[in-house]
Amino acid sequence: MSRRLKAPLLAAWLGVVLTLLYLPILSVVLASLANTRYMRFPHKVWTLDAYREALGAHDTVQLHLTSLKIASVVVLLATLIGIAGALAFARYDWHGRRMFQNIVLLPIFFPQPVLGLALLLSFTAAGIAPTWQTAAFAHLVWIAPIVTLVISIRLYGYDAAQEEAAFDLGASRLQVFREITLPALMPGIISGALFGFLLSWSNLPLSVFTTGADTTLPEWLFSRTATNYSPLVPAVAVIATLSSALIVLLVVVLAQAAKRTRR
Amino acid sequence: MRRGLAGYLAMLPIGVLLTIGFILPIGIVALYSVMPPRTFEMTGALTAENYLAAFTDGYWRPLMWSALGASLTTIICLIFAWPTAKALESAGHRWSTAAAILIALPIFISESVRLFGGSLFLMPGGGILAGSLRAWFDLSIGSILNTRLAALLGLIYIHFPFVLFPLILGLSLVPKDQIEAAHDLGASRWQVFWQVELPLAAPGAAIGALLCFVLALGANAEAAILGGQAVTVATHAIEQRFNYAQDWPLGAALTMLVILITALVVFPIMRRLDFDRLIRR
Repeated sequence: MSRRLKAPLLAAWLGVVLTLLYLPILSVVLASLANTRYMRFPHKVWTLDAYREALGAHDTVQLHLTSLKIASVVVLLATLIGIAGALAFARYDWHGRRMFQNIVLLPIFFPQPVLGLALLLSFTAAGIAPTWQTAAFAHLVWIAPIVTLVISIRLYGYDAAQEEAAFDLGASRLQVFREITLPALMPGIISGALFGFLLSWSNLPLSVFTTGADTTLPEWLFSRTATNYSPLVPAVAVIATLSSALIVLLVVVLAQAAKRTRR
Repeated sequence: MRRGLAGYLAMLPIGVLLTIGFILPIGIVALYSVMPPRTFEMTGALTAENYLAAFTDGYWRPLMWSALGASLTTIICLIFAWPTAKALESAGHRWSTAAAILIALPIFISESVRLFGGSLFLMPGGGILAGSLRAWFDLSIGSILNTRLAALLGLIYIHFPFVLFPLILGLSLVPKDQIEAAHDLGASRWQVFWQVELPLAAPGAAIGALLCFVLALGANAEAAILGGQAVTVATHAIEQRFNYAQDWPLGAALTMLVILITALVVFPIMRRLDFDRLIRR
């Protein structure tokens, strides 16, 4: 294969991959624009009725609130735990660091539904009734290691000499952390928090087993795909995805603004 | 000494979290797996009965389907990911970043949404694909929805990015001049791939393959949404033992078997990877 032929071929392949990745997502959007009880594509009438119905439904609000509650708790705790964990993972030199790195990675390299089932059995055995709080805990077990890893990656590229210099100039441990370490880590912390939020918001395999009577958005969608289909279901899927994108966008804009004012 | 102490203090929060939320639950499952069948206490006499039942009562079947599905998914994803990583590498910087972001974005859209979309696309009759073909080309086609093939396609679809991105990381570790040198010395395209690129990119490929296999091994949404009743996967079988059959010990034994397969794959590979080197560079 000549080099001249190779580049267009690779570009075409990339096009195929992207098309295949987005076809299902496009399908959800297309399906939401109908008003018939059953899916009969192409629709006779294209309408936004399903969105009107979804936005007016009490369920939609409730589902969003449950998902938001879980994601907020998870992001807050995972970020705090992740900052400390990343320092132990990538910055400090201590005996047992290598083993610690492997243990932190274990929950990431572990089948999530199995973790969900193990936690469900443990909660039940301990007499704890599963609610959104137990689901938040389950998410945390999986997401805290991921946030730790994301912040660690930032830490690896960070030059500790600045800290030493500050110590030499007589700064206290807390001052050094607040004035030097934390700002340097900020991009990692923000991306870690965003990752954590999105992963919690979209999580199905842990929520399915650990929410008990509460229902998150992905869980509701999962149950409604099998039974009780109507255009309302894809409409809620689109709304749920857009609202997470909106929240991320908001955080990014706020972070940019904060960075500008600090300068 | 002071620095050593800082390390121990910093690991404490996540250490406590993982002890309570990861190690302890696995311990509880392990204990339940050796309790007498259909009991709910953790204090019975120890027995291997559940593990025997897992093999004699046909529960090896869902385990086998999950292991087979995970293996196929890993292999196919690797085969698809290699040219994709290459294409991203050879495209101009701006294009490759844009394409990489586009590939990564769906990870953050819920599995239930994406798989649901897959089923809407494949649906027979009025589905997106079948409906469009009939309306525009007057073509009637069948559907693979609710088959094992559809479940496998779902697994590949969901896990592809998890193979691709570590592989890109691995490929970035391959020095370009080494490939040039091999070409200059008269190595064929195949030789360069097999003897230079693959060994050097192996850590990235291994992480991707590992992640893909382990996640696919426990996956159940693909089989539920796209596979219909065509296949029962491990997680589904475990859930049934826990919920409907109320047989915690058998469910726990099946869970332990999945964890065992995971451990057999994860530990040997993880021991060989040096994360400090892989991430820092």
